[in-house]
Amino acid sequence: MGVRVGVDIGGTFTDFCVFDEEKRDLWTMKVLSTPDRPGTEVMNGLAEIEKRYGVAPADIGYFTHGTTVGVNTVIQRRGITLCLLTTRGFEDVLEVARLKMPDPYDLFSARPEPLVTRDRVFSIDERILFDGTVDLPLDEASVEAAIEGIRSVGGEGVVVALLHAYRNPAHEERVAEILRTRAPDLTVTCASDVWPVIREYERTSTAVVAGYVQGRVAHYLGSLQEALASAGVPAEPMITKSNGGVMTAEIGKSACAQMLLSGTASGVIGAASVAAETGAAAAMSLDIGGTSADVAIIRDGTPQYGVGEMIGEFPIYIPTVSVTSIGEGGGSIAWVDPHGVLKVGPESAGSNPGPACYGRGGTRAAITDAFVVCGFLGQSALGYSAVSMRTDLARKAVGEIADALGKGLEETAESIIHVAVSGMYLEVSKLVSRHGIDPRDLSLIAFGGAGPMMACFFARELGMREVVVPRVPGVLSAFGGLIADIKNDFIRTVYLDMVPGALDEIRSGYAGLRDAATAWIREEHGYDGPVTLLYSADMRYRGQSYEIETAIEAGWIEAGDLDAMAGAFHVAHERIYEHADIDAPVQLINLRLVVVGTPPKPHIAPAETSAAAPVPRATVPVYYDGAHHDAAVYSRAELFAGQSFSGPAIITQDDCTTCMPGGFTATVDAMGNLTLIRED
Amino acid sequence: MTVDKVTLEILKNHCRAAAESMAFTLYRTAHSTFVKETEDFTTGLTTPDGETFATPVELGATWFVGLNYGTVIRMIDHYDEGDICMTNDPYSGHVCTHSPDMHIWKPVFHDGEIVCFVVGHIHNTDVGGAVPASISRTLSEVHQEGIRIPPAKVVKRGEFNQELIDVMLANVRMPEQNWGDLKAQIAAMNTGERRVHEMIAKFGVETFKAGIAGLLDYAESQARAIMATLPDGDYFFSDYLDEDAAGGFPCRIALTLRIRGETCELDFTGSDPQIESSVNMPTGGQPRHALLMVGFVYILYSLDPTLFLNSGVCRVATSVLPEGTIVNPQFPAAVGLRTLSVQRLQGVIFGAFVQAAPDRLPSSPASGGPIMNVNTIDNRTGRRVMAATGPITGGAGGNPYRDGTEGSGANASFLKNTPVEVNEAEVPFKILRYGLTLDSGGAGKHRGGNAIEMVFQAHAPNTRVTARNRDRTRFSSWGVLGGRAGSHSRFVLNPGSDRETNLGNIDILTIGPGDVVHIGSGGAGGWGDPLEREPEAVLRDVRRGFVSQAAAERDYGVVLFDGKVDEEATRRRREAMAVDTARTGGFFDYGAQRTAFEEVWTAANYDALTDVLSGLPVHWRFFVKHRIFEAIDDLDRDARRGDGSEVRAVFARVVDRYPQLKSAI
Repeated sequence: MGVRVGVDIGGTFTDFCVFDEEKRDLWTMKVLSTPDRPGTEVMNGLAEIEKRYGVAPADIGYFTHGTTVGVNTVIQRRGITLCLLTTRGFEDVLEVARLKMPDPYDLFSARPEPLVTRDRVFSIDERILFDGTVDLPLDEASVEAAIEGIRSVGGEGVVVALLHAYRNPAHEERVAEILRTRAPDLTVTCASDVWPVIREYERTSTAVVAGYVQGRVAHYLGSLQEALASAGVPAEPMITKSNGGVMTAEIGKSACAQMLLSGTASGVIGAASVAAETGAAAAMSLDIGGTSADVAIIRDGTPQYGVGEMIGEFPIYIPTVSVTSIGEGGGSIAWVDPHGVLKVGPESAGSNPGPACYGRGGTRAAITDAFVVCGFLGQSALGYSAVSMRTDLARKAVGEIADALGKGLEETAESIIHVAVSGMYLEVSKLVSRHGIDPRDLSLIAFGGAGPMMACFFARELGMREVVVPRVPGVLSAFGGLIADIKNDFIRTVYLDMVPGALDEIRSGYAGLRDAATAWIREEHGYDGPVTLLYSADMRYRGQSYEIETAIEAGWIEAGDLDAMAGAFHVAHERIYEHADIDAPVQLINLRLVVVGTPPKPHIAPAETSAAAPVPRATVPVYYDGAHHDAAVYSRAELFAGQSFSGPAIITQDDCTTCMPGGFTATVDAMGNLTLIRED
Repeated sequence: MTVDKVTLEILKNHCRAAAESMAFTLYRTAHSTFVKETEDFTTGLTTPDGETFATPVELGATWFVGLNYGTVIRMIDHYDEGDICMTNDPYSGHVCTHSPDMHIWKPVFHDGEIVCFVVGHIHNTDVGGAVPASISRTLSEVHQEGIRIPPAKVVKRGEFNQELIDVMLANVRMPEQNWGDLKAQIAAMNTGERRVHEMIAKFGVETFKAGIAGLLDYAESQARAIMATLPDGDYFFSDYLDEDAAGGFPCRIALTLRIRGETCELDFTGSDPQIESSVNMPTGGQPRHALLMVGFVYILYSLDPTLFLNSGVCRVATSVLPEGTIVNPQFPAAVGLRTLSVQRLQGVIFGAFVQAAPDRLPSSPASGGPIMNVNTIDNRTGRRVMAATGPITGGAGGNPYRDGTEGSGANASFLKNTPVEVNEAEVPFKILRYGLTLDSGGAGKHRGGNAIEMVFQAHAPNTRVTARNRDRTRFSSWGVLGGRAGSHSRFVLNPGSDRETNLGNIDILTIGPGDVVHIGSGGAGGWGDPLEREPEAVLRDVRRGFVSQAAAERDYGVVLFDGKVDEEATRRRREAMAVDTARTGGFFDYGAQRTAFEEVWTAANYDALTDVLSGLPVHWRFFVKHRIFEAIDDLDRDARRGDGSEVRAVFARVVDRYPQLKSAI
């Protein structure tokens, strides 16, 4: 029996979740991240874990890892000098994007400068048409000219993104072959390899982000492999992916586009497993850190997927756990505008200097400071004593806002909380309206450093009845990696009318995807356990410009049952848009296939039970709803399954603090989750 | 009662959330692809008097921040709980501004009292009338632009008014789409109503009522603070539509902006008479009409993006709108294509304000640009295919901080293109080029954004291309402070061949197999003297293919040699250019064609024109304007004085020639 370790690197802390297969127990650890020396924090953490829990590197039989190294490369613009080759006549694809600007009311609104500026885009003479036929054969001399151009701008890598190559990649492949022969020092990325889907900007942008981070990510993963091996960790590291799955680090070195949002996605996977444990049919995950809050919708224990998620300022279009990021976190700063109106954010104290109460030089009041002033925080250190609470500094910072508003100190602190929560309400309100969901039906899974701190206030604002704080709220992303499946996505654009004549192409398309998926998981990944294939299709009514990914059954393809496929689409359309038109012609744009391998999952022991009433460690004064109250302080480690208590209460644990005002009742469930129910 | 500033901020977030939720509900459940593609809809919340106090900013059209529903609300004499009203008549209260826009409003009751209205509109793909989609530049009366429904209850106490719905659906070309979109609008109203009830439960009805007044006051005080940063003064600006009819004469929109302290007045005296095509702007003479306020809201928000957007912003402005002009047409002038003129009007407002704050505001954006449709036959299937192939836009103007954005931006930021690959999948034609037009952005210390161009080839006979909103082939987007005007828009058939044809401002074209069409927007204006642009920035533009080497030398005085800046040659050339006073005009550069036009049509001449026309009955003005323009065109050069006298002389001759006119005066 061995030990499984999940690691997730965030901006401030690196989180560890450890599962001992013998004791069936979960342990956690946080160390400070070392963004200047990526990888160092991993080894630091393993050393701490050995010290604290006696886990030797040689015991680690399964290792998963989520990293922000790819995202940071984009945000800090520290990728390689990248070039782009396009079909002649279409060189402005990145400059023009999809035309729309971020803020349509602002005359100054601008798109970010592309990762490949126009002087590093070179034209290839070739043309493939929509149906894949060659209209103009590849002129190899234009590739030679492009290589000269790449040399003249000092290019280190190149993305090849030609029109309609998702349909026929022959020209891209030939260009790549010439590049590899004639310029073997350049990294080469073909857009049709990264995600072969129709829409040239989306495909090109995705490949450019991938090509831009490739070198740095591959180097990082290589060093991690080496460091783990030399420390004596026997497990081949697995990397968490944006689609919520995992892949080997070896695959990750070339498929880095798939791991850009790994930490965010595995947090939602962790939350989804909690939702499944508590039996919530619909849930919302709320992950609040220092600068932002990430929100996702979970139905029947499964996250929602989407494309077009942002990597820094750039969208990528590969299947990703759909997460909405709100620019408000524990570090968001409160201020008073010239008209005397209290505002919170978008400016954030982040993790450095952090809120005033961290005592690291922050002087402006952040949301966390407001919780300190209201008495909810400051009862214990945060983050394994990495941060101690300076109540005096929080009061001083909030006091300045109080003076500007002409209100009392605690009243002001509570106002900051309410304004912050109402800002989150606004953003989440858009999300639930987009999905047509009533938030009152959702169970709120709160995690991240500041999620359990704000969750009850957030739930009150949205009218939600149930808040769940998982057993390891501070390291849920690391936990999510531990339980994730091996997973990869495949797509083929077919752009067909759903008519009987289309059947052959649909069948052969899926057969091709099946072959590719099997080869990936068996050969490339080397996994020999049970495998599931999930079929779906992107469909729409003719004339629409957006598709719905619709799950379909393998049997329908074999039986040639196009009516069943169209029928599933009508049902999906009805569910999402509240209407369907069964007489309208249906178009089939993309065939999709997900391959899932399910390695054995950790079987966590149920929490210890107790029939006794929980014993608070202390009673402290807190301020909310305009008055002082006495709140019981509980230590999470001293709570047992079956125990129950009412608010106001504060529940402290190593990695975060749960703040529960009156009107909530907490219960510890069999798996150790803390369920907070709001009374009507 | 007043609401404290903390509660106000919380209420503000909840009100915005209500408006956004209505927008998302509408967007999600709307049936027509048109709504989903163009986001031409809005939602909002108004006071019982009709003042909009919350609008969505994430979804929907940007034009309706200042919309006041008061006129149409008052046209219904009694409301019961569960009523929903609608209108699409541009001449009933002037809330609706062209017939495809179906406006809808629902009272929200609390204890038997109306506490607010939830409102919104959707642009229907078609509401009947003379042409499919109901809009054509050639139409001259609103009656040709489809069915008009004056304010009426479409839902009475929760029950559909089926007779009204049946009448509407019998008059439109795709009734199932109108019906589907109407249901989506009603769903949005119900979402909004529910959210208002939730707010009342949370805040209490008195706080809610006082709070919405407080939100209008808050936006107003923010707007006042922004206005106070602008110097008092009178700022005149005018610009032209290329044509007031197919092959016609220019149409002027003129504005005197008077800034006084924290307020301003927009006086549109000097704007041309209403015209015999559908680009009139139906404002009903309302001094804060939403169409007039669009450009104003852009300016204030750009000066301070923390501005909360609602109609309180518009309280600091008022307008003067002479009746019978393009900015205040009389019934039954057609108005369907007012998009074109409203975009020019926005530019006129930008031009007035930039004089007050040239160090804080941009030069002219290229503005909208045509929305193109291609209607052709698929040679493989014989089926006729019609598809929107996307907008052809131009960039944003150069601004004090940086270059204008390329290809889109400023007041055309909400449009989205159609990918080349999707266009080719949908339409049997081949796109030869889609990208930015070299040298199209006006030169400047901060360059104007370049224009978009598309070149495509048809494969089948009888391929029809329509390009709504074409303009700017004659007059350019202007530059400021030495920045140059942007390039003209282009519409050329078979460019570079011996069959090349310049299509001017034509918006409908039939082509055949093998024909190549080049369509391009105009470029945006530059900001600041091009000679002050960093030579390295010019070199970068040349390397990026945004500026040609020839233009670098001609417009910027930057001499490049062997891929580098020749510093000595550049210094010499810039010195030589600097002494050429003819190089830079005044505050604005309008481009050569407008400059030439205004040598004939001087300010005094145009004032004289406005003066004589405004004395005529409205139905004579357009006719007489054309006769005067024809006669002025025919004048000998030496007969021109530019002091207005020749216009008056010509007018006298026109009066003599048409005795009917004399009796009408």
